[in-house]
Amino acid sequence: MAAAAGPERPQVVAHVQQALSYTLFDCKWVPRSARLLCLGSAARGTGVVQLYELRAGRLELLREIEKAKPIKCGTFGAASLQQRYLATGDFGGSLNVWNLEAPEIPVYSVKGHKEIINSIDGVGGLGIGEGAPEIVTGSRDGTVKVWDPRQKDTPVANMEPVQGESKRDCWTVAFGNAYTQEERVVCAGYDNGDIKLFDLKTMSLRWETNIKNGVCSVEFDRKDVNMNKLVATSLEGKFHVFDMRTQHPTKGFASVSEKAHKSTIWQVRHLPQNRDIFMTSGGAGSLHLWKYEYPAQRSKKDSEGAEMGVAGSVSLLQNVTLSTQPISSLDWSPDKKGLCVCGAFDQTVRVLIVTKLNKV
Amino acid sequence: MPVWLREHSWRQSGSAVFLSLPVPGVRVTAANIFCTDRYLKVSVPPFLFEAILYAPIDDTNSTAKIGNGIVFFTLYKKEVGMWDSLTLENASKETLQYLRENAVRKAHEKAKEETEAKKVTKQEHKKYALEATMKNKEGMRTAYFCVVSQNDLWRQQENLPKLEEAERKRIEELKEQERQKVTKELELWEDQQKYVENQKKVQKEGQLHEEVGQLKEKKKEKNNKTSIPSEETLKTRLKPTKGSGSYSMFSENLKEEQLPAPRSSGTIKINFTSRVFPTALRESRVAEEEEWLHKQAEARRIISADLSELEDLKEEEKNPDWLKDKGNKMFATGNYLAAVNAYNLAVRLNNKRPLLYLNRAACHLKLRNLHKAIEDSSKALELLTPPVPDNENARVKAYVRRGTAFCQLELYAEGLQDYEAALKIDPKNKTIEKDAEKIRHIIQGTMQNS
Repeated sequence: MAAAAGPERPQVVAHVQQALSYTLFDCKWVPRSARLLCLGSAARGTGVVQLYELRAGRLELLREIEKAKPIKCGTFGAASLQQRYLATGDFGGSLNVWNLEAPEIPVYSVKGHKEIINSIDGVGGLGIGEGAPEIVTGSRDGTVKVWDPRQKDTPVANMEPVQGESKRDCWTVAFGNAYTQEERVVCAGYDNGDIKLFDLKTMSLRWETNIKNGVCSVEFDRKDVNMNKLVATSLEGKFHVFDMRTQHPTKGFASVSEKAHKSTIWQVRHLPQNRDIFMTSGGAGSLHLWKYEYPAQRSKKDSEGAEMGVAGSVSLLQNVTLSTQPISSLDWSPDKKGLCVCGAFDQTVRVLIVTKLNKV
Repeated sequence: MPVWLREHSWRQSGSAVFLSLPVPGVRVTAANIFCTDRYLKVSVPPFLFEAILYAPIDDTNSTAKIGNGIVFFTLYKKEVGMWDSLTLENASKETLQYLRENAVRKAHEKAKEETEAKKVTKQEHKKYALEATMKNKEGMRTAYFCVVSQNDLWRQQENLPKLEEAERKRIEELKEQERQKVTKELELWEDQQKYVENQKKVQKEGQLHEEVGQLKEKKKEKNNKTSIPSEETLKTRLKPTKGSGSYSMFSENLKEEQLPAPRSSGTIKINFTSRVFPTALRESRVAEEEEWLHKQAEARRIISADLSELEDLKEEEKNPDWLKDKGNKMFATGNYLAAVNAYNLAVRLNNKRPLLYLNRAACHLKLRNLHKAIEDSSKALELLTPPVPDNENARVKAYVRRGTAFCQLELYAEGLQDYEAALKIDPKNKTIEKDAEKIRHIIQGTMQNS
């Protein structure tokens, strides 16, 4: 039941709902089209990729592809617009890049990790961002690896725990700061609450912090600009918005945190058309739409004269409960403002339309 | 039969008639007066006064003042003029009857009209209120109460839930409209996408042709044919695919050339936030974990605080159990001081064991440190707080020892109390009974003496 609307608030309209016969882990829009992909795991332990097209208020199944291992995550981020290859991470720790027109043999494949790949992100493709196309994967074996589809077998960057350190699962990864050909940053969130920011240009750890609860999802508001904001969501219903423009030498980045959903916040996704609006999905099957407001001064000087960031504030635009099960995946369509798809653990994929985003 | 009132008096002016009617003894109220434009009646049982007026009056504006036993009417004439008399004389019974009935009928009609008028105003008020709610829901209630007259307030309140219904329906309609609008937009967009897809397909085919053409060209060149005709063919082939497709294909090639080489590999070694527990950090568990660590720290502190003194001692000598046994042995051999020392050390290491205190109490008794014995037995009893059958034995001992100590201090009353408590727990113990008896005698003895 949607919250009572002031007439100007965005509304979340459930457009189409489709019941699936497998566990859905990730859903993604195919760029420049009205098609979406559902990735998941069938009951018999194999991976499923289904391609649907949104037609006349229904989802029509165009293709169904079955793979040996269940698929956990996928991205189009590193693919060119013409080719639109899908990069997937599966339960066995393999990274595969598929051409959906000929999905029998992957275009690129590597068994990059020893355990399940929890999260994947791509940059440099789709006309977004500068520089080489790269894919980053974060896995339960505690490592984060960056791959270039032109380089076989070895990752371009490998972030692994020091020898002898007990490992912590990496739950989420995200690219950012890709505004020139050389600059690139990877942000990784772990299950013990660590967030680490790796700078790929200097191959070093740029910043780390701990938000006291397992980090479920991190995302920069834009991958292809000088890093502006980072949202990290965690267990126990909290998310943090970091202002990434000003890094203080000891205090790091300024942040504002908000409690919502009363359960794990599974995903955060920024609206591609407006980087200050983002949606969070919760473990109780709810979606919250938020708007970030910048403070009057984004940075100020502290007592020693070092620049320190000032976090703004977050306001709730709308919330809606769609399901009783966690909504584990969320994706905005890059082509139509307000169109998004979400997949929940009740084996349904829902296409939603968020209205009045122009007026926010 | 009612009593007719005839002792009225009246006078008149050009426009009004003043009539005073004495009504002795009874109270007149407004309900007793009935007046139409030609007929006036006052009926207060047992009295009755009626008058069929000479000429019509304006009954809405006429007034009646009810005073002490008298009613004073001020009747405004409809037509100005002097009346010959107050009532119509020489009227026959029928005319009188007719006039009466007429009057009553007229009164009824009037009443009807009034209710009609009221209804109409009520309707108008409702409409206005509805409009006000349409404009602003928050202002609804205030607008409402401003508009509605006081008399109708309670009746109007019944209509409030209906207005909320209307409001809800309106919101639902708005939502539906939005949904439909959005669905239409989406369909348009979908069609657009299909069109773009088709274009792309055409482009792709064009590309293929392109590539095929290029291959053919190359073959031709290999065969040393002039390139000019092939260029022409190239151009002709280009034309159909010209448009957004071709330039992007070119730009893609350019871009590929511009793409930087794959990054030189590197590894970043990371450390995770250090943590005592093997599980991951969870905010809700932080309090519990702090407590646990605190307790651990306490225990360690106690042990390590004695470390400096206990450096000489062997490992087993730090074990409270071993020390207890040692203490027991020394007690048995009669070395009470040494036993006390052993128990002291044991208590320092673990101050929650009642047995240690019990045994130490026994030692103190033997050493005649009576106060200390009492203290220790009390501590033991405290620690044995849940009085269950399991620690019966221990409790009996504690009471007995304390009792003995009290008696030896000549605090016989307290001693007796403890002995009786011991007896309560274990009534079959003869020694306790005997001792209790003894104490009672002593008490009675002292009481007799004093």
